[in-house]
Amino acid sequence: MTQPTTRGATVAFDHVTKHYDEAALRKGAAGAVQDLTLHVPAGTVCVLVGPSGCGKTTSLKMVNRLIEPTSGRILLDGVDAATRDVTELRRGIGYVIQQIGLFPHQSIGDNVATVPRLLGWSGARQRERADELLSVVGLDPATYRDRYPAQLSGGERQRVGVARALAADPPIMLMDEPFGAVDPIVRDRLQNEFLRLQEDLAKTILFVTHDIDEAIKMGDMVVVMETGGQVAQVGTPAEILANPASDFVARFVGADRGLKRLSLYRVADVPLETAVTAVVGESAVAVRARAAGAQAREVLVLGADERPIGWLMADDIPGEGTLGPAHADPSSPLMDRRTTLKDALSMLLDQDVGSGIVIDRHGRLRGLITIPAVMDWMRDERARAAQDADGPTAPAGPDPDDEA
Amino acid sequence: MNGRPFIDWDWILAHLDDVVEKLGQHLMLLFIPMVAGFVISMALAILALRRPGTVGPVTLATGLLYTIPSLAAFAVLRPIFGLSLWTAVIPLTTYTLLILYRNIVAGFRAVPPEIHEAALGMGYTPRTRLLRVELPLAVPLIMAGVRLAAVTTIGLVTIAAVIGADKFGGFGQFITEGQQTSFPTKIYLGGVLSVLLAFTVDGVLVLVERWLTPWARVRAARG
Amino acid sequence: MDALVTFATDAANWSGTNGIPTRLVEHLMLALAAVGVATVIALPAGLYIGHTGRGQLLGINLANIGRAIPSYAVMVMILPLALAWAPTFGYDPRLGLSVIPIFLAMVLLAIPPILVAAFSGLREVDRDLVESARGMGMQERQILLGIEIPLAMPILVGGYRTAMLQVIATATIGAILDGGGLGQFIVDGIARRDDGMLYTGVILVATLAIGVDVGMSWLQRRLTPRSLRPGGTARSDPAGALEPTAAQGSAA
Repeated sequence: MTQPTTRGATVAFDHVTKHYDEAALRKGAAGAVQDLTLHVPAGTVCVLVGPSGCGKTTSLKMVNRLIEPTSGRILLDGVDAATRDVTELRRGIGYVIQQIGLFPHQSIGDNVATVPRLLGWSGARQRERADELLSVVGLDPATYRDRYPAQLSGGERQRVGVARALAADPPIMLMDEPFGAVDPIVRDRLQNEFLRLQEDLAKTILFVTHDIDEAIKMGDMVVVMETGGQVAQVGTPAEILANPASDFVARFVGADRGLKRLSLYRVADVPLETAVTAVVGESAVAVRARAAGAQAREVLVLGADERPIGWLMADDIPGEGTLGPAHADPSSPLMDRRTTLKDALSMLLDQDVGSGIVIDRHGRLRGLITIPAVMDWMRDERARAAQDADGPTAPAGPDPDDEA
Repeated sequence: MNGRPFIDWDWILAHLDDVVEKLGQHLMLLFIPMVAGFVISMALAILALRRPGTVGPVTLATGLLYTIPSLAAFAVLRPIFGLSLWTAVIPLTTYTLLILYRNIVAGFRAVPPEIHEAALGMGYTPRTRLLRVELPLAVPLIMAGVRLAAVTTIGLVTIAAVIGADKFGGFGQFITEGQQTSFPTKIYLGGVLSVLLAFTVDGVLVLVERWLTPWARVRAARG
Repeated sequence: MDALVTFATDAANWSGTNGIPTRLVEHLMLALAAVGVATVIALPAGLYIGHTGRGQLLGINLANIGRAIPSYAVMVMILPLALAWAPTFGYDPRLGLSVIPIFLAMVLLAIPPILVAAFSGLREVDRDLVESARGMGMQERQILLGIEIPLAMPILVGGYRTAMLQVIATATIGAILDGGGLGQFIVDGIARRDDGMLYTGVILVATLAIGVDVGMSWLQRRLTPRSLRPGGTARSDPAGALEPTAAQGSAA
């Protein structure tokens, strides 16, 4: 992927208000916005979240001036958006909407190259850029560039929509429920891929959603808005979850916010425990001795390649002979260091076991994660979040075994 | 009509150059009104995009023109323009207006709103958006209108022959002459050729539409 | 203009077999009769296609063919046949030269609009609605009469509107064959170089056509169940684009 030449730009809302008059309301105008003041640092993913009618989409659309504010200013890198030529402004901002809006009469390649074409890039450069972006979003250019939107599935079209928004390498991206139109499985995948992308691109993203889970997952900065266009709370996902500023926020976040907090952290954050292990082919007697020595009730059986096979109760270790794969009960869930604590706990509950086996990307054993360890860690974390409102402690540094 | 064979094939074969001449006339009376009608309707339709309020009155006006039976329309111009082509071309043009106008407007309206929004949000100017996005997507409905208008016009040309004596009327002239001289062969020749022409033109326009809309030929792979 | 006024105000032109009222009545009677006959043929067929969904392709093709055939051509082509059949059916051959071809042409040309309106109108009715009615135990005939036809009324009336305009226009042309009606003023006016007669004919014909169109358009609006009436928003016109309701065949 070519090095991004444009870093994100800052976006600032300065007492922005949008009122609708009677006539517009009758025609079905979106929600109003009341005195919105917000500063989004460059390279941040800022999620506007709230119930319908809270003005989140309106706020978004005021940035690229599809809607004009009644009062107040919007500053992009310090420049008032209202002073810029509107067409030039829009060509410099990536825009992704829920229904995507791919042009049915143009090929995928042409769709992606829309803004470059409007900017007057040469045909060759357009093509090159389109191909590059298609790869970035996970679509093979050779297969997809000449197809038409009607031939793609919903998930594929969403990816093209994102590619199209990235085409001119804009410093700011506006995304309005971009993953709303696909099923949850595809949505999850798209979200993950987008987050990975953002790690490389570091653009300033304004993201609108009505789904608090999505907001928590995607946002560096979360702005909770209420009906009527007011801001209820601004903060990191951890802050919003740990310390909701009002009843509304608490209700909107949901009574399960404790669990939601779990999704903010990963297995990598929590200290792992070591397991008593046995390798296939070892003598049963040796294993028995080891288990007794460690006072372990069960032993984790590994294959010759250090890949976990399953648990073996200490009482069930045979008296003699060697251990084979058949001795192990493969019911314990496997997870890697990237798994969120929420998913990890969910897996443990599902399999009704007390600890989960953590493996690295090659499938080799790293350690065990247990429920008490998680609870302890979360308790400490809450205290930390309350003290410094700068967000969760940085996760454990990059593990040499993991991919970036 | 008795005694002679019903259809005199020899006569037809002997007068093929006549057929070609009438074909040329008929086609001319098809193209001129269609082109003029299309230009006027397109202009009115683009106006409708900026000022939706005009749709009602324009539809009413073109509808009124359309409702007037063609014989009357041709006849009323004859004292004014005599036997020049204007007597035929003007009504032929006005008859295309309603169909073309309605279909062009419908074509523009059929473009889904999210495409408008995406185009605008990405930085298309209204004019480029019209040309590059809305117009291509409106083609199916516009072409449906063009086909209907073309077929209708071909039929109307035959009626113009009633007013046109021997000056204009394309294949319709075979019909009038055949009727006046009680020569069924000519009548049927004129009628059948008109219908064949209509079908051919319709078929050609279908091909043109397919050529203009490569994306529509493609079957949706998945939802 | 004076010629027009002269002709129109001459009392003689308002009475007798060649008078305006007589011709008007002739014209209307012929039109209504033709639509009536066309209804008998086209309506049941259209309702069948619409209700069962079978034969739509055939229906659409018939409609296309009907549009492509110029009314004048049809009329004149039937003429020799009408003459030839006189002995068989036992009517005065002179009728075979005038009224019969005109009438047959009118019927033939009225069939496509009625047929298409019937089946496309029925097809537009929400299929889920029909299915739930069926599920509740309504019989096919009850569904047709009680649900489909009422909901399809606007399109049906639209089809009749088109058909009426079509036959009025055809009858106008029928004057070429001395078929009478208001078109006669136009044709005779040309033949006798009487501009007054010509213009009177034009105005009468136009007024009749527009009057019928307005009347039926009012009827169409009245018969639309209130809930289906378009509000301030423009109605998308899928049926209309291929078959503009008012405009389908009256150009003749």
